[in-house]
Amino acid sequence: MAATGLPRSEPAARAALARFFAATSGADAVKITGLTPLRGGAIQENWAVDAEFSGGAVAGEQRLVLRTAAPTGVAASLSRLEEFAVLKAAFAAGVTVPEPLWASDDLAIIGKPFFVMRRIEGTAAAHRITRDPTLDPALPAIAERLGGELARIHTIRPPRAGLAFLVSYEKVGPAQQITAFRAYLDRHPMPRPVLEWGIRWLEQHPPPQIEPVLCHHDFRTGNYMLNGTAVTGILDWEFAGWGDPHEDIGWFCSKGWRFARLDREAGGISERGPFYRGYESESRQSVDPARVFFWELLASVRWAVIALQQSDRYMIAGERNLDLALTGRRATECELEILMLLDAGGAPHDA
Amino acid sequence: MRDLPSGSELLALARDVLLQELMPQLPPEVHLDARLIANSMAIAQREALAGGTPEQGILADLERLYGDASNGRPGLLSRLAHDLRVGAFGSSEQRERDARRILWRLTIAKLRSANPRFLNANGLS
Repeated sequence: MAATGLPRSEPAARAALARFFAATSGADAVKITGLTPLRGGAIQENWAVDAEFSGGAVAGEQRLVLRTAAPTGVAASLSRLEEFAVLKAAFAAGVTVPEPLWASDDLAIIGKPFFVMRRIEGTAAAHRITRDPTLDPALPAIAERLGGELARIHTIRPPRAGLAFLVSYEKVGPAQQITAFRAYLDRHPMPRPVLEWGIRWLEQHPPPQIEPVLCHHDFRTGNYMLNGTAVTGILDWEFAGWGDPHEDIGWFCSKGWRFARLDREAGGISERGPFYRGYESESRQSVDPARVFFWELLASVRWAVIALQQSDRYMIAGERNLDLALTGRRATECELEILMLLDAGGAPHDA
Repeated sequence: MRDLPSGSELLALARDVLLQELMPQLPPEVHLDARLIANSMAIAQREALAGGTPEQGILADLERLYGDASNGRPGLLSRLAHDLRVGAFGSSEQRERDARRILWRLTIAKLRSANPRFLNANGLS
């Protein structure tokens, strides 16, 4: 437990968690039989928790995940209790997610706020999913299923009493995102002219207003779990908020999230057709290619800025993490995509 | 004068030892870290081999773009970034084309060090 570390010692955290689980589930007693950090999640920490519940609402052996904040995070992400509320809304809307169970901001339990959900089986490893030839025949159907899942997320619309903490779309629309990108670049020590060019294009070509929906804001390969060929859960809801539904579609299709298969434009797993078909079939709304283009370009700018921010956690905040340090280099991959999207003439011959 | 083998040769050899000899002996839970280390070594090696040549080429392009008004090299890239933000090249198709050419050269030069495989996967080298 030392590497990532809960603020409380392991025995104290186990005992306090057992008491919390018993109180919230109505169990006579709870024994924590396993507490192991899970890899992945640069912003959040996930812990596999195995527990035996004696009586109560979830009697028996349970395989759970406890999700809490990493030592340094990204300002734009939701708190754990807010993420828990979003997950509950998605679960109620029929989105395939790990069932959310309990949450607490009582620092006396593990030392920081957390929530608990059921542990689902499978892998979210994007490189494995996009590389595994045995998965290939099933991938178009998986893409179609994911399109349907996304459409179900987008059925959640404001106003929602339980999600009142989400910032209104007027404050997080494209114009506000552009302002935030530029504010970040003004603080960044290195000039990024390609990002400036891309942002200028976005500023000059805003899409017409649209009724906002709940966007996952990180809906991509790597953030869904596959067990064999079955989609077992959409993960990582920390960036959810109101937005243009095409924002999630553009993010899913952007080149930054195609991993080993840049040629498969829907998340590195299929052509766009099946993904769009799944979305349109579930939502009964047409996907607008022009809007997707706008948001796909914005996705490349956004991912570049996030990559630089991850690197800042090493460069500025001093977090000694090679993965974060290297992520900053990926900003240039996004810049190449911006050039490829906006300059139909392609690279000059003497580049 | 430095001794041989060069720093970039040592990096390449060390990376090879890490991936070919050490990796099979490492527990699976640290393989990702080992690959990140190998990736970092590869970037450092490519940057050492390229030296300052790509940067000099970009700066020469910037000087040509801004001509006599360039006032020397420091700050030219910041100036380009600012000009692109405000759309300063919108009135001249030629200058806009020249600016775009610099963006391509800059990006491709960076990726040749950071991720040549990504460059190749996009049909560039």
